[in-house]
Amino acid sequence: MGTSKATDFVTMNIIESSMISACREMGITLMKTSYSTIFNEALDFTCGIASADGKMWAVAEFCPAQIGGMPLIISSSLKEIPLDTINPGDVIVHNDPYRGGLHTPEHTLFCPVFVDDQLVAFTVAIGHVAEVGGMVPGGFASEATEIFHEGIRVPPVKIKKRGEDVEEVWKLWLANVRTPRYNYGDMRALISGVEVGAERLGQIISKYGVTEFRKICADLMDYSEARMRAEIRDLPDGAYAFHDFMDNDGVTDEEIRINVECFIQDDEIVVDFEGSSPQVGGPINATLGVTWSAAYNALLHLTDPSIPKNSGCFRPIRVLAPAGTVVNVDYPAPEVGGNTETHPRIAGAVIGALASASPDRAFASEGGTHLNFVFGGQDKANDEYFACYDIEVVGWGATPHSDGNDATDSINGNCRVTPVEVFETRYPWLTEEISLIADSGGAGATRGGLGTRRIWKCLDAEITCSQLTDRHVNQAWGLNGGASGTSGMTLYQAAGSSDWQNMMQAFGKNSTSKWSNVVIKPGDRVEIVTPGGGGYGDPATRESSAVKEDLLEGYITADHAHADYGRTAEGD
Amino acid sequence: MLEGLKRLTGNIRNLRLGTTVATNAILERRGARVGYVTTKGFRDVPFIQRGNRKFHYDASWVKPKPLMKRRDCFELDERMMADGSVLRPVDEAEVLAMAEDIKAAGGVDSLAVNLLFSYVTPDHEIAVRDILAKALPDTPISISYEVLPKWKEYERASTTIADAFVKPIVSRYLNDLGTRLGERGGIENVAIIKSNGGEMTTAAAADTPIHMTVSGPTGGVVAARHIAAQLGVGNLVTFDMGGTSTDCSTIVDGQESFTTNFEIEFGVPIQVPMIDIRTIGAGGGSIAWIDKGGMLRVGPESAGANPGPACYGFGGTRPTVTDANVILGRISPDNFLGGTMTLDVAQARSAMETIATPLGLGVEETAMAIVRIVTNNMTGALRSVLTERGLDPRDFSLLAFGGAGALHAADLMGEASIPSAVVPNHPGQFSAFGFIMTDARVDLERTVQMTSNRFDLDRANEVMNQLVTDALGNLKAQGYDTGLSVTRTLELRYLGQNYELEVPVSFETFDADTVGTAWAAFHDQHKARFGFNIPREVIEVITFKVTAVSARETPKLPTLAKNDGPPEPTARRQVHYEEGPLETAVFDRAALGDGDVIAGPALIEEPASVTVLRPDQNLTVDSYGNMIIRNN
Repeated sequence: MGTSKATDFVTMNIIESSMISACREMGITLMKTSYSTIFNEALDFTCGIASADGKMWAVAEFCPAQIGGMPLIISSSLKEIPLDTINPGDVIVHNDPYRGGLHTPEHTLFCPVFVDDQLVAFTVAIGHVAEVGGMVPGGFASEATEIFHEGIRVPPVKIKKRGEDVEEVWKLWLANVRTPRYNYGDMRALISGVEVGAERLGQIISKYGVTEFRKICADLMDYSEARMRAEIRDLPDGAYAFHDFMDNDGVTDEEIRINVECFIQDDEIVVDFEGSSPQVGGPINATLGVTWSAAYNALLHLTDPSIPKNSGCFRPIRVLAPAGTVVNVDYPAPEVGGNTETHPRIAGAVIGALASASPDRAFASEGGTHLNFVFGGQDKANDEYFACYDIEVVGWGATPHSDGNDATDSINGNCRVTPVEVFETRYPWLTEEISLIADSGGAGATRGGLGTRRIWKCLDAEITCSQLTDRHVNQAWGLNGGASGTSGMTLYQAAGSSDWQNMMQAFGKNSTSKWSNVVIKPGDRVEIVTPGGGGYGDPATRESSAVKEDLLEGYITADHAHADYGRTAEGD
Repeated sequence: MLEGLKRLTGNIRNLRLGTTVATNAILERRGARVGYVTTKGFRDVPFIQRGNRKFHYDASWVKPKPLMKRRDCFELDERMMADGSVLRPVDEAEVLAMAEDIKAAGGVDSLAVNLLFSYVTPDHEIAVRDILAKALPDTPISISYEVLPKWKEYERASTTIADAFVKPIVSRYLNDLGTRLGERGGIENVAIIKSNGGEMTTAAAADTPIHMTVSGPTGGVVAARHIAAQLGVGNLVTFDMGGTSTDCSTIVDGQESFTTNFEIEFGVPIQVPMIDIRTIGAGGGSIAWIDKGGMLRVGPESAGANPGPACYGFGGTRPTVTDANVILGRISPDNFLGGTMTLDVAQARSAMETIATPLGLGVEETAMAIVRIVTNNMTGALRSVLTERGLDPRDFSLLAFGGAGALHAADLMGEASIPSAVVPNHPGQFSAFGFIMTDARVDLERTVQMTSNRFDLDRANEVMNQLVTDALGNLKAQGYDTGLSVTRTLELRYLGQNYELEVPVSFETFDADTVGTAWAAFHDQHKARFGFNIPREVIEVITFKVTAVSARETPKLPTLAKNDGPPEPTARRQVHYEEGPLETAVFDRAALGDGDVIAGPALIEEPASVTVLRPDQNLTVDSYGNMIIRNN
């Protein structure tokens, strides 16, 4: 039965699920052994398998932001480390945005898989390491004006050679970060993850033989390509435009335009970002890898979610991003926020553009930020420096069929919030409130999801804080007559005062949403408000039973029911 | 279920029940109206949850709602700190005012109380419970410290709310049960099977019903522990394949594996200690279909019992795994369910043709492809309990049961690299057999965080001793006071990590020497599980755990006689294997004796199951009647 068409499909099904299972196993190792909460609570990492020439064969569902970038990272690395210099037991580490990477905190580790003395594949783990040195503790230098402010760049280098640690690389890396004990643990976890995966993948490849395995993987990519082409063919041909804005870049108070035009012809799509703003001085520029990832992410949301995720999916999609713009930044501009903040804006713009082409799957904008609140300070109990990258969740956009989800991570992540009880055990903050914000979801026939409010009080140590977020000025847009969600905000209250101020007022920063190195003292408070999602369809057509339930549950107030839905305080 | 009791005949003195009454109440959202009481500022924790999505690329996914309404949430201005100190004490007047609010709300059936950091110091929760119990004497109250004294406020909230949600319905059910059994007479003891595979009294079940959420599939795992002892092996991986789902679990070194990391559905954690069973939605009734890209897929959609597989002849037109097994000759159409039901081969073939034609394959080839895919899907389920937990399949034996387990065991052994398989007696009723083997069991655990470099011996002893006292006290209060034993465990990790390894503690008292053995054991275990350790790193203690067991009398199992000669086949027929069709001997299991050996290819039939033996395998019958399959 070895050669018939159908048997290939059966073996393909089996090999694909075996590879995903290996990726899952990598992810479990990473989750269980890593040190940073962004890793092990938030799960901000991805595990995949790539061919020897850098094509992605399979990936497990962890963090979507990193998926589209994986092929570019591997192929860029192989330009500097030729295949014939890679040996069994080597592990390569890389984080450089200007060598195909996404942003400096995102570290990519990969490990060759040899079968019959041939390098057949790489197992790949991409993980967000919380502390990378640079001008702020926690990796998001929101006032950075060049890549050198954003932490240590690691070009592709071997951190293990033939199974042995390369001590020089470890020393150099750990000397450049504020929390070497944590960084050591996270790097060990990443290495352990790719090694577990390599062992498992080696067994799978051996079982089928190198030639058969490669052929099946090639078929698998063709299969995904065919599925993606069929999906695109279902969309009407035409040109579809949309644009959205980032509030500012943290340096200059000017809006930044993300412009997109999508051209669909038969079974192919061109996503053209011509007309987007020139690259900016502050750190919200996106590398080409980020822009690819974001465009792919949008299209994966508008097509059948069951298509196996591999490089084949992306063949019918052509992304045009002019160099020197905010969507394809030139060296040496800063870019750490491109991967977290600009990605959702890019993906959202593509979804907005295709809303009329794909009316059943398109949805209103989600909050579109991870809030990226980072801080560091001295841990008195353990006599060491701590650094933390905290993410917060946002309201999601309403869909044609249902209200947007409340309090959910933005489209390019799938992170979890850290429990208050874990957070307060580790860091000197007191959480006074974590709540949903009434009226924050955009009104519509289906309502936008609600954003959240968190209030922290600094306990007994000085904490150096920074934030790189967006949507303080602009809002998550509604669709087909749905209203926008509300903006986010970050406020500060000095100990003993009752006044709340934003960071421009309190510390003379250039932006309320992007600010660095503010020292919070015992008794001070910080409040983080996250944006709500956009609504879908005319609010006047919302079912009165839904408005009533929203009132009873406190998702909307009587004022909002009156002003935005034209209903009474009882919802009629 | 209650109706079924009427049909029980004979002299029954002891009854053990596994029941889905709590599970179904949660899955179908048919429980009590719960009032949720929590620390001021945190009423939205059950709504915010953890913020992640079930699917990456599917915006139509709707986040699950908690089991209570937001309007039924009540906040108290109290606050405990991470170190157990009190920031704001409980104000009795405020609690009493809240009780009035709850009364005024009207219709609240039960209360769930979850205050921040209650696992560190439960004083606030206990005080609030006591005040509320006086003010609202008819309202059952669940407090998180008693349900799940572990950190992570959302997971604890979800578990406590679920307990309160099912409490009234479970109480009613147990009351009805008591009445019916009283009418029937003769039954002296009724016990309920817990999710940890132990039993508890009906009174204990009514008190903390959350412990019965996953009681059904535990029977097979408990039975597996006894089979392991019978066979004299330490490690078994269980494979319980039924019509719509398959459960896998492990016995390692003679013990079941436990977890507190269960979600009854995505985003709804229920984290009480339970047997670690992974379920996949695939079984004999799973439907095979062709996706948009032309790939053959199996499940998760199932034909269920109605219409069931096409071969049942109840109107099913889509091919299922069972149909594939009929076409391949593995299931005899004339000897299904002991011959009480005749299968329709023609229906099975015509259903199979609906996908064979577009695939460009023959009917048998398609059926074989389905079996290969099922085998692979099941291998994935086995990996989730073995390799994903650091266990090597080559150290295990596959214990196959459920209606379809024995059909697929032989194929699975090769695909999953498991060297042998065991088919126990009556594989279709194996889980129920487990229920008669259960002990009374209480698992208690509590998060008390400390580190190896500043380990507080007194606090550690106080916490562990309290858990031992509580666990034994719980058993004795239920009347279980014989055959008592206690095991102690620590959950440890490197300072900074977020997931723990369980390290058994063989000593009764923490002192400078004994605690050192626990640290050393952790370093070793980390190396074994993850391939590395960090020798000088600080170790963090997260959870103290105690298991108390009251061993119950277990029945003595009958042994098999030896046959005079080698077993004789009852029939021969053509059966399809990956190698192609082969003439295959068919045996009747009832006729097999101790020590009988059968060489593959062969089928061994019994009323509710068929065992397939591949051509490269052989089978031995042991003195208890277990069939052991090995590769030649």
